[in-house]
Amino acid sequence: QSWDMPTPYGDSTFHTQNIAQFAADVSAATDGGMTITVHSAGSLFPHSEIKNAVRSRQVQIGEFFLSRLSNEDLAYGMDSQPFLATSYDEAERLWAAQKPVVSALLEEQGLMPLFSVPWPAQGLYTNGEIATVDDLSGLRFRAYNAALEEFATLAGAAPVQVEASNIPQAFSTGQVAAMITSPSTGVNSKAWDFVTHYTPINAWVPKNIVVVNKREFDRLSDDVQSAILNAAEVAEQRGWDMSKAEASQQTAALAENGIVVYEPSAELVSGLQAIGATMLENWNASASDDAKAILSTYSN
Amino acid sequence: MSDPMIAVVLFAVMLVLLALGVWVAMALMLVALVAMVAFTNAPAGLVLATTLWGHSHSWALAALPLFILMGEILLRSRLAEDMFSGLGPWLAKAPGRLLHVNVLGCAIFAAVSGSSAATAATIGRMSVPELTDRGYPERLIIGTLAGSATLGLLIPPSIILIVYGVATEQSIARLFMAGVLPGLMLVLLFSGYVAVRAWMNPELIPMEEIKSSFKDKVKGSRRLIPVALLIIGVIGSIYTGIASPTDAAALGVVLSIILAVSTGSFSFADFKDALMSATRTSCMIAFILVGAAFLSISMGFTGIPRNLAAWIGGMELSPYALLAALTVFFVVLGCFLDGISVVVLTTSIVMPMVSAVGIDPLWFGIYLVIVVEMSQITPPVGFNLFVIQGLTGINILRVARAALPFFLLLVLGVVLITIFPEIVTALPNAMGN
Amino acid sequence: MRRFLDRLYAVSGALAALSIVGICLIVTAQVLFNLVARIMGPGWSYTIPSYADFAGFMLAAATFLALAYTLRHGAHIRVTLVSQTLPKAGQFVAELICFVLGLIITGYAFYYFVLLVWESWHFGDKSPGIIAVPLWIPQTAAAVGLGILVIALIDSIVESLRAKAPILGAGEEV
Ligand code: NA
Ligand code: NA
Repeated sequence: QSWDMPTPYGDSTFHTQNIAQFAADVSAATDGGMTITVHSAGSLFPHSEIKNAVRSRQVQIGEFFLSRLSNEDLAYGMDSQPFLATSYDEAERLWAAQKPVVSALLEEQGLMPLFSVPWPAQGLYTNGEIATVDDLSGLRFRAYNAALEEFATLAGAAPVQVEASNIPQAFSTGQVAAMITSPSTGVNSKAWDFVTHYTPINAWVPKNIVVVNKREFDRLSDDVQSAILNAAEVAEQRGWDMSKAEASQQTAALAENGIVVYEPSAELVSGLQAIGATMLENWNASASDDAKAILSTYSN
Repeated sequence: MSDPMIAVVLFAVMLVLLALGVWVAMALMLVALVAMVAFTNAPAGLVLATTLWGHSHSWALAALPLFILMGEILLRSRLAEDMFSGLGPWLAKAPGRLLHVNVLGCAIFAAVSGSSAATAATIGRMSVPELTDRGYPERLIIGTLAGSATLGLLIPPSIILIVYGVATEQSIARLFMAGVLPGLMLVLLFSGYVAVRAWMNPELIPMEEIKSSFKDKVKGSRRLIPVALLIIGVIGSIYTGIASPTDAAALGVVLSIILAVSTGSFSFADFKDALMSATRTSCMIAFILVGAAFLSISMGFTGIPRNLAAWIGGMELSPYALLAALTVFFVVLGCFLDGISVVVLTTSIVMPMVSAVGIDPLWFGIYLVIVVEMSQITPPVGFNLFVIQGLTGINILRVARAALPFFLLLVLGVVLITIFPEIVTALPNAMGN
Repeated sequence: MRRFLDRLYAVSGALAALSIVGICLIVTAQVLFNLVARIMGPGWSYTIPSYADFAGFMLAAATFLALAYTLRHGAHIRVTLVSQTLPKAGQFVAELICFVLGLIITGYAFYYFVLLVWESWHFGDKSPGIIAVPLWIPQTAAAVGLGILVIALIDSIVESLRAKAPILGAGEEV
């Protein structure tokens, strides 16, 4: 048996490294009877096509950024809802609430989630320190989805769309002046080339998810199935640990490279949480029943 | 069947299809289809559809038709002719004369566009007819164009450096900086080659009008103002942050329309002509791009490129021997895959090999781009060759022959950056930290 | 019939051209907004929502809708170096084989593309940006373009069989 597995991120990303280990574990557990070839960095399918490629059995398994699907159902995007879950503990509880609903939604497409691993919590990158939400007002703020656009508007900032590859240039030319992203992305894109300040506001803890095609999975022998499920469970645990280690390492790396890393002031945190609360109210108005069910499970 | 045998079979199929006269885009798809059906278990039809869609709606690619349209508009207005007449007196004494416009024009345009196809199409649309009318030799016109247009990949912005930077998590800003000096080095090599050819064989190059005094030259240069405004407007918009590189293409179209209309030599009928011609050219290029993407994905499923790369890795070569082996490997692969596919398909295998022998990944990115530039001008699958055939009607083998000296200059460029890595690393190191 | 088909290719080509104009307009509008924001200050910032997505979709429409038009204009690149050395009858056969091979791959692609559009529609796939666009809409434009290319190839085969001679330009000099 051999499977092809497209993933969107490069080989030095901890997600990809975790998946490479997962593939190795599966191969070892089946004595080489099941091999998974990892095609990283979008080398087989672009990120936008990976889910559908697994759905129509072009490949058997794949990874993608879960909240990419939030336009299809808000339940997918819960982990990118600003200031809903801001620590690993909260993110774990949110995933526990989210998993059954997401699994049911994916099952309608013939997909089955294997495991999901978070990125480090999202921090705020700016030139100069941000002490209160008011300091964000009037700043040109990078937004790439509807939630972020709403966030920027509520904070009084000007949302600007910038493609990820264009971020350094957008900063250096003044097209944007602030962005929210993980410390990993900040280090990988060498954020010190274009911003001076970083604060871990832990805006949200987004996740990648690994899914298999259900029919392909069902065709496997019981032994291989359980080998995959076991490896997935281990990979999820390992991934969360890697993510936690990554968060502190990469934040330190930002500081080492000359970025001023500062703790957000109490005022900033409360201001941001107020925005988060407003967004959640608006969210409630348009969310599906599934998504609301996640929220009520999570909140209780 | 072993991997090298499969590769040979597929290569033979491709040659037969191309020789029959099958359209390049469809030939690439057919070869990919054969590869998928014969050598993999993947559902070829679904993958083909996914590829056709997934690779045809990218934002970065949206600049392509716009740049081509800009070239078509300039061609149909008096602006192109003005540019050459204005530059003629200045270059009258330079060995090679207006051929340097091809080289420098491509270099300047490369600072606007991230792709070599757009560079070849835009500059070639103006320079090929102008230089041909003036009696320059076809081989040098085509050769300088095919060679210099590859600078679109190296001089920032660059699509392929973005792809490499994303795949290997290198800073794209640093990669862009690293591309600047090697880009200038290639400009010097290309211009130098033209000058040497002109010295060796002076009757090759037609005379340009000689203006005696400096004042006369400046007077004649007034005709350069519109084009200079266009270039400043487009480049300026990128470097002031008003426009991203894709945005800048649209600005280029609008500015060139304004300038063309203001010279009084551009009607609505001309615009319609330009638009329809741009539609065909961009369709032709985009169709080949998706065909190449499908071939690339089918190669991903067969695993041939990564197996071959891993085989090279298994030889445990010294850094220089490894680079030599990789260069041969990439040049061979680049003959029948497009450059971006080569990078995408092999980085996972090649990068660990490269870091294991202590090669700087930033330097390697630039090395890779120059090697990919070579693949743009090697037959049978070379994008600059296709674009130039589309522009001039000259068949790709003749274009490839004209481009051969420039291929060799690119090889020389690789040797130079290997001996003097500072050409690559000096600027990004000076960037701070 | 002849007139209808030629109209079909021309109209789809014109729609493709309009898509390119569309890309140009939407991007230019955004650049103007950026310029205003730069002059008047960030308070004047405005981003056309999902404009990069829309530009991409229009690019796909431009590419696919122009396929048949470009083919009939002989503007798709091919290498006729070898087949040109053949006698007229040989050239006719070579071109006919090309049309048939082209029809096979294009028809195959068209069939699966329709399947892809159906799947997108069935599962309600949407674009991930600020504006959620149901993907079947832009995909349909691409499918229509592929379909017209299939028609153009069948048309060319019929025409070629009737003429018993090569009918298309090579996209290169003679
Ligand atoms: Na460039
Ligand atoms: Na090539």
